Amino acid sequence: MNYTQRIKNLREAKLRQTSEKLEKLGTRDEDDYGCVIPPEDFKWQPPVQDTNGSFSGARAWGRNFRSLMENHPIYIDPNDALAGRWMFMLSRMRKGYKLELSNFAFDYSHLKPNQLKYDITCGIGKDAHFAPDYKIGLQLGWGGLLSKVKASMEKYGHDPVARELLEAEEDAILGIQNWIARTAKAAKTMVLQERNPVLRENLRQMVAINTKLVAQAPENLREVCQWLAWFNMASRTYNRDGAGGQLDELLRPYYEKDKAAGIINDDDAEFFIACLLLNDPHYYQLGGPDKNGKDQTSPISYLILEAAAKLKTSCNLTIRVHDDMDRKLFRRGVEILLIDKLGYPRFSGDKALVEGFMKNGFSRELARERIATGCNWMSLPGLEYTLNDVVKINIAKVFEVAFYENMKKSPSLENLEELFIQHFETAVETVAEGLDFHLEHQYLNEPELLLNFLSHGPIEKGLDVSHGGAEFYNMALDGAGLATVADSFAAIEQRIVKEQCLTWQNLRENLANDFTTSNGEEVRLMLAASEKFGQGDSLGDKWALRLTEILKDKVADRTTSLGRRMIPGWFSWADTVRFGKNVSATPDGRKDGMPISHGANPRPGCRRDNALTAMAQAIARVQPGYGNTAPWQLELDIGLVKHPAAVDIVMALMQTHFDLGGTLININIVDSKKILEAHKDPQAHPNLIVRVTGFSAYFSSLSKEFRQLVVDRIIEKTV
Amino acid sequence: MCGCTSGMNGTIFDIKRFAIHDGPGIRTTVFLKGCLLRCLWCHNPESQKIEHEILFIPDKCIGCGWCFKNCPKHAHKMEDGKHVLHREECIRCGVCAEKCYAGAIEVIGREATVGQVIEEVLMDKPFYDNSGGGMTVSGGEPMFQPEFTAALLSEAKKHGLHTCLDTCGFAAWKYYAAVMDNVDLFLFDLKETDPEKHQETTGVLLEPILETLKRLDDAGKQIYLRCPLIPGFNDRDEHIKKIAEIAISLKNLLEIDLISYHPLGQAKLEHIGMKDKLGISKFANREQTEKFYAKLEKLTNIQVKIN
Repeated sequence: MNYTQRIKNLREAKLRQTSEKLEKLGTRDEDDYGCVIPPEDFKWQPPVQDTNGSFSGARAWGRNFRSLMENHPIYIDPNDALAGRWMFMLSRMRKGYKLELSNFAFDYSHLKPNQLKYDITCGIGKDAHFAPDYKIGLQLGWGGLLSKVKASMEKYGHDPVARELLEAEEDAILGIQNWIARTAKAAKTMVLQERNPVLRENLRQMVAINTKLVAQAPENLREVCQWLAWFNMASRTYNRDGAGGQLDELLRPYYEKDKAAGIINDDDAEFFIACLLLNDPHYYQLGGPDKNGKDQTSPISYLILEAAAKLKTSCNLTIRVHDDMDRKLFRRGVEILLIDKLGYPRFSGDKALVEGFMKNGFSRELARERIATGCNWMSLPGLEYTLNDVVKINIAKVFEVAFYENMKKSPSLENLEELFIQHFETAVETVAEGLDFHLEHQYLNEPELLLNFLSHGPIEKGLDVSHGGAEFYNMALDGAGLATVADSFAAIEQRIVKEQCLTWQNLRENLANDFTTSNGEEVRLMLAASEKFGQGDSLGDKWALRLTEILKDKVADRTTSLGRRMIPGWFSWADTVRFGKNVSATPDGRKDGMPISHGANPRPGCRRDNALTAMAQAIARVQPGYGNTAPWQLELDIGLVKHPAAVDIVMALMQTHFDLGGTLININIVDSKKILEAHKDPQAHPNLIVRVTGFSAYFSSLSKEFRQLVVDRIIEKTV
Repeated sequence: MCGCTSGMNGTIFDIKRFAIHDGPGIRTTVFLKGCLLRCLWCHNPESQKIEHEILFIPDKCIGCGWCFKNCPKHAHKMEDGKHVLHREECIRCGVCAEKCYAGAIEVIGREATVGQVIEEVLMDKPFYDNSGGGMTVSGGEPMFQPEFTAALLSEAKKHGLHTCLDTCGFAAWKYYAAVMDNVDLFLFDLKETDPEKHQETTGVLLEPILETLKRLDDAGKQIYLRCPLIPGFNDRDEHIKKIAEIAISLKNLLEIDLISYHPLGQAKLEHIGMKDKLGISKFANREQTEKFYAKLEKLTNIQVKIN
């Protein structure tokens, strides 16, 4: 029973679990989390509930989480180096939970009219979406964290708010310790039953490691991986979380120490890491500069990549590309991407990220430490509260409002642009008010009991991270629908203003009737054939730049009323379908309810030659440039992969995108035939993994609508 | 005369950015219209004539009627509920395509100045710099418009671009002599090595082509041989052996590209009013291509690639 066989067994188990999740939970347009289905006879209800069946406040969250941990089923796979799997998300067990709209115990109905009007994803009540500093936990262990909480209690016990928070933190740790201790005990029983000597020894070690980790800090690589897995699983169980960290640098000291002591070899290290990656697809960065600009690539960076390559499941690794990097890591990353075709690793561009973040007034040293730890997002581990990726304005909706207002009296393009700006500004103002409202109330709704442990400040100050506990507040605000709106402005400018082959009234009539008028399809095709964003020096490109200027102008270099900074980005996440449903027909020829454009991407098929160089430039040009991303969702055809110089070409393509200002590239290697087959019959290809946006997922686990979206991107259908 | 050629006009039928099969690195390929050869398997039949052509795809027509009303020769007609283009009446003025937003009618071929083409080519310069790529002039046959080709290559060199010329070799030597200094790499098509079969399937003699190849090699120019494999036509062992012989005789050959036939060009024939004389709709056999690949590598010791 060697590591290859054990990884194979683990991978097969993972595929079975994915199928079971699909069967029991249905399709989900999210990451393929590491969770598994609980045993059928498992029953649990949150012991503390409000009269409405939901719960809120630190005490309730602490009690409920502790109870869930104390009752959490035990999962041990004797093949695995690490014990445990998570099964629940407490945040989704609140009555009335919806993915798109969080439970929130405080009334913000005064903001709702504008939130609806502009289809704003306001972020109020949203949790996690900032990055932990795992080093805090690795140094202290659960016992050390508990002592830290107790010490803080001594200091702030007189303050009822701090006291409630810290008591809840204590509950959270006690719950986790209970879970770990029960797991260690269960592993002990399994040792007696296991007949395979290799697996029996593995279980023995699992008992020792987990018995220790109940209170003590980890001291070697395997213990560190297990500790990280426990934190990740607990944090997932609490409120989904999922942010990772600079994994190579987190593991390196332990790896080097173990190797020097002769405790492990690289095969052992690779296996432990593979088990960590299998445990949950958290977002980890590899390579990149340290705060002084020195490349962080080390042998363990490669081991992490190779572990992922052996595992071949859904993974979220990002390689940071910078001038002084070890190019071999970049190359190996691209090779794995092209060989495995599983959508990882992803690649981020250091130059634009660092220079962008510095524009907010931060030092270069700090900017370098702001790393890829989420879908589209960057975060300073343990220092920053951001609400990354959960605050968005659907600018296609803003455009729709402006368009119909423009039609009320003598419409003009100038007037339309002016109205768009006005409405966008109101939308940004609404978001800013919402962010302040969230920051004032979230600690009473859902404190970040888990991420607080690994942040610098909350425990020390007795303040939730959302409530003043964090060092910095850099609130993310993404615009969604860039190409839809840029192409709509361009179509109007071309067909109505320049060519005068369409009147405003005719356009309005067609949009209002979803192009069902007698010449509707002809008008739609004419609009769709207008100059598009992504063609290069087109009207669409001009408008995409203009929209980016508007986004920067209204979002960056300003703060909310409470003085919180906002950072702009272009990103739609997996919400293009949902956003699209809220927007009627648009002048780019898009029909009522169809998805809006994806992130910063031009519409698929905007150029006949589908030149990736044109796309790379178009997306580089529309970077808001304040340290948050406008990712390039890149679909690489399988034909390119077969090219003898594929690795060099893809590296040059990405490098140039970063040279031109690109921030993040999420890549899919697309076998069109396979995807189309899998779209028809998802179960025919249960192992097919696609990178949907920032995250990768099993294609079969996506909803039909979302599979269609992936298919549309791939077959490059124009609207 | 100032000697400036950037205002010179040529007829092109496409510019493809992110071309990765036409020489090293990431490139932009400029396709010039017009060719002396009439290869039966031509994958760009719309590139053969220098004149503009009308591409018509009836399936895309939405019946808006614009072309029926505006064609000066009434060549577009609705017959039995079907949109028909009477090519015998068509004067290729392109009016019909002006407002065909459904994409059913397109004009193939456009005039462009050297300056306009180079401007577009330069858009991807940062990608060439990072990948060792550049500009490739292809066709059609670039030497069908020798002055324009020469001007394009010269202009590209002024901007420091790596240049490739994709040619069939069938043109007067003076034209090659004129461009040679501005071409870094010749992508030289070798379609058939049997003289009779060559004339039969391409319409021209093989001998002058081999002569051009030799003279380019003697002049020290770097060369890739590009050999299309057409099922049933040149997928013969003797042909491969002959390619190997020629390859060995060259001093500056860097690579042999075996290009697997695909029938997409045949599908286009009908849309431009031409007839399929090849009569095959299958792709080149991958196994056979790989066999030839192995054979060529063994016989020549030169890098062989399958494109």
